[in-house]
Amino acid sequence: MASQNARALTAKNTRGRLRQDRFAPYFFISPFFILFTIFFLLPSLFAIGISFYKWKALGVPEFFGTRNFERLLTGDPIFWQAVKNTIFYAVASLFIVAPLALLEALALNSKRLKFRTFWRAVYFAPIVTSTAAIAIVFRMLYNREFGFLNELIMALGGMPVDWLGNRGVVRFSVMGVVLWRWTGLLAIYFLAGLQSIPDELYEAAAIDGATQRQRFFHITLPSLRPVMLFVAVIVSIGSIQIFDDPQILTQGGPANASLSVVQYLYTRGISDLLYGYASAVGVFLFVVIFTLSMVQLRLFRGGER
Amino acid sequence: MVEPKSSKLLGTILLNLGVALGGIIMAWPILWMISASFKRLNEIYAFPPTIIPRNFTLANYQRLFTDWPFGRWYINSLAVAVLVTLAVLFFTSLAGYGFAKYRFRGRQPLFLIMLSSTMIPFELILIPLFILMSRLGWTNSYTSLIIPFMAPALGIFLMRQYITTLPSELMEAARIDGATEFGIYWRVMLPLMRPVLAAQAILSFLGSWNSYLWPLTVMRNRDSMTLPVGMVSMMGSITAGSEPPVGASMAAATLITIPVIIVFLFVQRYYISGLTAAGVKE
Repeated sequence: MASQNARALTAKNTRGRLRQDRFAPYFFISPFFILFTIFFLLPSLFAIGISFYKWKALGVPEFFGTRNFERLLTGDPIFWQAVKNTIFYAVASLFIVAPLALLEALALNSKRLKFRTFWRAVYFAPIVTSTAAIAIVFRMLYNREFGFLNELIMALGGMPVDWLGNRGVVRFSVMGVVLWRWTGLLAIYFLAGLQSIPDELYEAAAIDGATQRQRFFHITLPSLRPVMLFVAVIVSIGSIQIFDDPQILTQGGPANASLSVVQYLYTRGISDLLYGYASAVGVFLFVVIFTLSMVQLRLFRGGER
Repeated sequence: MVEPKSSKLLGTILLNLGVALGGIIMAWPILWMISASFKRLNEIYAFPPTIIPRNFTLANYQRLFTDWPFGRWYINSLAVAVLVTLAVLFFTSLAGYGFAKYRFRGRQPLFLIMLSSTMIPFELILIPLFILMSRLGWTNSYTSLIIPFMAPALGIFLMRQYITTLPSELMEAARIDGATEFGIYWRVMLPLMRPVLAAQAILSFLGSWNSYLWPLTVMRNRDSMTLPVGMVSMMGSITAGSEPPVGASMAAATLITIPVIIVFLFVQRYYISGLTAAGVKE
């Protein structure tokens, strides 16, 4: 009886509210679409548009065809230096930072580790620090004459290194900051992956007499495949967008040896006010990142089936 | 096949030693930074370094507020981070609720458009957005750091994932009681979303607090800078011959990072759940 009443009431209410019901969800999601259109979609189209113009700030845009891109791709050694540096950052992140993060996650997940909560806090704290602040701290530690690192090397009997002034070394110095700030974040993803592996798998393997090494290679690693894929994608997209660390450590120097593509875009667009040319760099970045995202989508879809 | 006891013990020792050594390396820059912020220049560069300063000084901190508008930068950063976080919480939870609990025409394609918007790298729109901000007269104003970033797609995704798991029966009950659709969101759903709101709040706050490229682009006046931008400008403004503000910049770095690290230690759980929910799942 009561439920019948309730149902009748619901029906009446639903009819009365039909209009509101129909429009409510559109109303709820509209802020995103309004903000997205004004501040992201239209600017993106605008960026693609002006990449075909020669436009220096305050001047009048002049149609330039594909010449911005031609110059960028064939006649701009600084851009290619920046691309090379950025590829270096991406490769080093993929093959040094990510494996170290996996190792870190394995260690922090181990039941044989004492003070696990404490060590997790120590290793994860760098994630929340400001890159600007940390890069300045590293600048002091890397200082050629008085820096802690060189003092330590000399105390151990080595030769001091010009961490930020040597063209061959500077990219490794940038990676030092990246390593310090990013391993913790990636380790969190790996840790989540590790904790989602059911214990029964390990128990069953132990009953079957598998050694620890066998369990690692036949259970842990294969189970982590989706996480590894995810980490590989965010690491490559993140490294392609690197800006803060080399900007604050070296401003891209010496002689552009640590300059990243985003730094180059910033210099051309915001410092030199070459809007058209800088937008061509932006379009280049977009194409690379979009392609990577599509590959990611493919891989994930493939992984599910 | 059980491993021999001695090799297992050796492994445990190596594991603990390795983690401790790595932990010292991870903690070292932070410890060095805090310690240097209380030292004079000659002691900062002394070797071997002292962890507890021999000649403890607060001069670096005092200089921050007399030689630079550091208090102003702190207020700027805090205000922007708080306002952007509040706006993000409201707009992402509202949109997440819309996508999770309503069936409407165009839902699937709209959701896909929203998700694919994350593939646009911010750098592509850096120049046009900068031009737009200049035309609107928003440069050097909080609005340029807040309004474009109030409804991030990843945040909406995170909210939707969570809200889908909440029971719909409560909504029906509220509807019978005559609640409006917005009222259901505000009074029924929002209180149930506390964990995911906490995770989102931490992610938003940190993103804003630590962001550098965009504030560097639009906040040009000394007084309108945020902390990271202002701090880096301290180092850049050294004229030849003058003493580099090493101690002061370490004091600034300490004031930017330490409060955040302390809060992080308490809310770690929410932060990590937010990260992994936004990332790994689906």
